[in-house]
Amino acid sequence: MMFDPQVIIEKLPEIGSGLFVTLWLWIAGVLGGVVAGFVVATARRFGGKIVNAVLGTIVEMLRGTPFLIQIFLLYYGGPFVGLMLDPIPCGLIGLTVYSAAYYSEVFRAGYASVPVGHVEAAECLGMTRSQTISRIQIPEMALIVLPPSINLAIILLKESAVLSIITVPELTATVSAIGSQQYAFLEAIFILAIVYWVIVELTDRLGRMAENRLSRLRFSKA
Amino acid sequence: MTLKLFTLLLEAALSTLGISLVSIAIGFVIAMLLSAALLSGKSVYILPARLFISFFRGVPLLVQLLLIYTLLPVIGINVPGIVAAIIGLSLCTAAYQAENLRGGFASVPRGLIEAADVAGFTGAQTFARIRAPIAIRLTFPALVNEAIMILKSSSLVSVVGIIEITKMAQDLASSTYQPIPIFASAALIYFVINSAIALLGRYAERSLKGASA
Amino acid sequence: MLKRQLMKAAAIGALLLTSSLAAHAEDVLAKAKAAGVLKVGTETAFAPFDFIDAGEHKGLNVDFFEALGKDLGVKIEWVELPWDSVLPSLEAGKFDVVAGPATITKARIARYRMSAPVAEASVAILKKAGDTSITKPADIAGKAVGVGKATAQLAQLQEYSATLSEKVTVREYVSFNDAYADLATGRVVAVANSLPNIAFVAKQRNGAFEVVTPAFGKKTYFGFIGTKDDDHKALLDYIDNEIIAMKKDGRLAKLQEKWFGTTFDTPDSVPDPAF
Repeated sequence: MMFDPQVIIEKLPEIGSGLFVTLWLWIAGVLGGVVAGFVVATARRFGGKIVNAVLGTIVEMLRGTPFLIQIFLLYYGGPFVGLMLDPIPCGLIGLTVYSAAYYSEVFRAGYASVPVGHVEAAECLGMTRSQTISRIQIPEMALIVLPPSINLAIILLKESAVLSIITVPELTATVSAIGSQQYAFLEAIFILAIVYWVIVELTDRLGRMAENRLSRLRFSKA
Repeated sequence: MTLKLFTLLLEAALSTLGISLVSIAIGFVIAMLLSAALLSGKSVYILPARLFISFFRGVPLLVQLLLIYTLLPVIGINVPGIVAAIIGLSLCTAAYQAENLRGGFASVPRGLIEAADVAGFTGAQTFARIRAPIAIRLTFPALVNEAIMILKSSSLVSVVGIIEITKMAQDLASSTYQPIPIFASAALIYFVINSAIALLGRYAERSLKGASA
Repeated sequence: MLKRQLMKAAAIGALLLTSSLAAHAEDVLAKAKAAGVLKVGTETAFAPFDFIDAGEHKGLNVDFFEALGKDLGVKIEWVELPWDSVLPSLEAGKFDVVAGPATITKARIARYRMSAPVAEASVAILKKAGDTSITKPADIAGKAVGVGKATAQLAQLQEYSATLSEKVTVREYVSFNDAYADLATGRVVAVANSLPNIAFVAKQRNGAFEVVTPAFGKKTYFGFIGTKDDDHKALLDYIDNEIIAMKKDGRLAKLQEKWFGTTFDTPDSVPDPAF
């Protein structure tokens, strides 16, 4: 087998469109997951025992089963209960729900890291709960939750490759299809490895930069 | 969903469990080697270790498995699917475990290392008897989480021809046309196994803590 | 220092490469006989050729290679992969031959050694039973149609789509089984696959699906697939002879009757495929 990058270079526009789908699904899935995860963590903290137990069980179920199985259930099982989603919406919802479960745990640890005294002090000063969350708890947990959040985002980028299995035209699906059409199997795998690796490295660097900036910001204020 | 189908899923679960456990164990050994390389202070060891960790954390497992299965034969390394699956999962988890251990090694008190130094321990002895045991104890919960991650990731090894829970569920779902009961049962099996791992992990953590106290 | 180590690694790599090449220079048929095992790669989501029935691998391929193995005195070891990994793995030397089968096409003949045909492969449409919006193949214009990834059926569907008034939205599934499942849900209105396959599926899922005749593609045939190198020549010659022998003594017709409910008149070879 010879290595011929030419066949791949000719298909760059198609690869670009696959990359675009991967990137926007990933970013939307992560942002959605962060927001939903924060809501879940907040509800678990302040919503009472029953809410905490119910949400906790759902989170554990989502974290305890493979993303692939969840996607199969949603995509092929959904229509049996009246939930018929096209591949891209299905992928987006699946990715968001899966990441929300993980992000909720990140924020739960974040809440736990804020000293009780700070929250009590805020209450004594007459802050409402939403003020306490937005002015005390979020800023204080930011530095704690940032590293695991970046790590999680990287894991989710790689999980998004699984969406090729439900015909989402993302990067893995596009490149492997080109590889099959052109009999350029090795080139296709090689390109996939490189592209994902580069995105992950960039994300990692960005995350570290954000971490540095945040810690400087925090300690300069203190 | 009959008992026969559920039994087939359970049988496939054995292969999921076997591959995952072997990979976690091999991955742990590689992760320790990587940690030793990172702590060696010599760039000949540090740079390759960093490259290894970066690559295996940066590339999706699906792609890694295909690389090992169909690309390595180009350089003369041709392994059967089961070996490719174990290599892929082991290398991937090694990178993540090494990252976790790095945090653990960083929190080993300097004083202990210096004390070992003064007591005449060599670098290797300090690593094996002082730094590694403490780092492992500190990062044990992360190791348990990683074990669960790998068990879930093993759902992808059907791309190299291994029949495990997910592949069996796919086959059964398409021959019975009942995706919900079959995928839900598969999910349940994963959930039970992972809950058991988490529970065992917590139990082991407590005994580790007891041992150190 | 680092440079010297790199050189050393490169030298070891080159050594491994040449030694493995040397090890490969062996006749595959002789090797299989000596080991008593013939490795056959396939995808198990291609009923009635290969499929999993309640956990058991069945189909025409299983019967055929069983018979071939008996005649050759070897056991058949199956390697089951998703279809888009099968040909790369064949090239990587993971198994000796691919059962598949694969449609005999111009592109494949250029790259691989295709066996004598074992069945007709012409592509037609499978639809939901009672769907009156599709009565002839051209009715799929502008609609979503499912097909297997990396297949000749996909290539034919794409070619056909370009001739229609409105392009077809092609959905590529990892396996045809997933495409059938999505036909049941209604996400796609049709699945394009070879006649023997969809006829079998329509019969199995009694009443849910219907085949839309005629076939829209060109007349094509299914064969097994191997590599063109000298090492594999004797094995693929043997397979060709076996197919023709089984055709002559009626065993192939019996297999076709068993799995397709009908027999096909297949030529002894397809030197110049229509597609």
